[in-house]
Amino acid sequence: MKEDIYGIMAEFDTPTQLVDAANKVREAGYTKTDAFSPFPLHEIDEALGIKRSILPLLVFAGGITGLLSGIALQVFVHYIDYPLNVGGRPYLSWPSFVPPAYELTILLAGFTAVFGMLFLNGLPRPYHPVFNVPRFALATREKFFLVIEAADPKYDHDEVRAFMESLDPQEVFDVPE
Amino acid sequence: MADMSSYQAPADLNRLRTVALGAGGIAFIVWAVGLYLDPEQALLSWLLGFIFWGGIGIGSLGLLILQYLTGGAWGVVIRRIVEAGSRTLPVIVILFVPLAIGVMTHTAYEFTHLPPDDYTIKHRGWFMAPESWVLRSAIYFALFGVMVYLLNKWGGEQDKTTNYEDAERYLGKATAFSGPVMVIYALVVTFSVVDWVMILDPHWFSTMWGLLFVAGWALSCLAFTIALLAYLSERTPMDRVVGRRHFHDLGKLLLALVMVWAYFNFSQFLIIYSGNIPEETGWYITRMSGAWGVIGIMLVLLHFALPYLLLLRQDLKRKAKILATIAIFILVMRLIDMFYLIGPNPRINMHGLEKGAFMLSWMDFVAPVAVGGIWLWYFFGQLMKRPLVPVMDPFLEKAIEHGRGH
Repeated sequence: MKEDIYGIMAEFDTPTQLVDAANKVREAGYTKTDAFSPFPLHEIDEALGIKRSILPLLVFAGGITGLLSGIALQVFVHYIDYPLNVGGRPYLSWPSFVPPAYELTILLAGFTAVFGMLFLNGLPRPYHPVFNVPRFALATREKFFLVIEAADPKYDHDEVRAFMESLDPQEVFDVPE
Repeated sequence: MADMSSYQAPADLNRLRTVALGAGGIAFIVWAVGLYLDPEQALLSWLLGFIFWGGIGIGSLGLLILQYLTGGAWGVVIRRIVEAGSRTLPVIVILFVPLAIGVMTHTAYEFTHLPPDDYTIKHRGWFMAPESWVLRSAIYFALFGVMVYLLNKWGGEQDKTTNYEDAERYLGKATAFSGPVMVIYALVVTFSVVDWVMILDPHWFSTMWGLLFVAGWALSCLAFTIALLAYLSERTPMDRVVGRRHFHDLGKLLLALVMVWAYFNFSQFLIIYSGNIPEETGWYITRMSGAWGVIGIMLVLLHFALPYLLLLRQDLKRKAKILATIAIFILVMRLIDMFYLIGPNPRINMHGLEKGAFMLSWMDFVAPVAVGGIWLWYFFGQLMKRPLVPVMDPFLEKAIEHGRGH
């Protein structure tokens, strides 16, 4: 295992080839893998065996937190700290509490969605080894790339390289760290 | 190019059609006995069935207009179902006849019995005359009729085209027509439900009323469509058309409409609560006390909270059977919601009970079955008249492919 290698990258011409290759990579038992495509490929999640993100659960938790804090804020202000008689209504005038509580639900759920997404993706990330391969710039245009990382427990440089060659790629590159 | 005959509706629908007519016919006869015993209650129960099932039919027109406007795969796969739903308008008009007779004979609707010096009669004048009520309803049906006729004409002519350029022209026509007509549709629905339902309590009014039904009927129709699509997706030819992603998309729209329903209802409640004016609050005071109050809380929990939480989950929206179960559950809640809106209103003959007392008649069960059976019988007949997908639509192939994805 060479220390200065991040992984091995294969280049493909079509999304179908990439998905087929990704399926074979998963079946071969590699887990530290990644795929790059100019546009979203929903099949790739399944092909690489990427599990569903926990983001929806975080967003739900964020929403619930917003809801509860919205209610708590208003109950504290209008009922405990500074009870104010508004048109003879009860202090605990819950129907009027609903819109602000709802807005806070949306706000915190929205923040959790955006910042949670960035956090779970490890963003912002100014450096990534895959950019050391000059042809990788084509990933934003017309080429499809698949990487098996050196950190993979099954990784063996020559074996992986031979395996990548067998997937019928356009080209195979070593990715320097 | 798709073959028209290969998208014919499955023959199973014929059996459903017979069952619907049988159940509807028997219920109709039982209801007719009720009409003899207690005409006002029978007509109010009939109104319950009419607003529920007629709402699915008129809501179909709304969804048909909406899917032309937005485009997208979900609209292409349900277009023929909502088209068939909109073409039930003739039977909806026939189902309306008992109500028209009820108003003309002063049998139902309290406003037909108000003394001439009642302030609503004084101020609204001819608007409160039974003749003008029936005439207005005829105008609403005529306006709906024009929309139904034109959209279905273009949809049918698109099937007969032989190339995509012609097919696209008809799609363009329907889309251009749908824009301004969406506004007219919402206005006509507003006017019609003010006349058919809100006027049951002649002294109460709400500016939110029309939107409650624009959204509520779209919700009823979408829930009905999802249940039917799930049934069809297990049979040829729709098993070749609909995929789990279509159900996912329809499930998202269902979630949105459940939320819109809650939003409009709560808006109406909050405005009246904040305004705190006696002539408005009475409507809610009735509906928040006793058995009506229990139904109200049940609606909040089961018409909104439960479907909302279930539909948040992605995996549940993608399984046709589970989504269809949720949709049917929502349909049942829709019926209870309509009962909650219609039931507590003042009546001509209160049977010695106080205004707003809880009343649940056996006819409230029979009449929706009668109306529903007749409506479904006609609906399935319409559905079988055309291929189950718009075979020549330029977006059909893409729409089918969309469903296959992940």
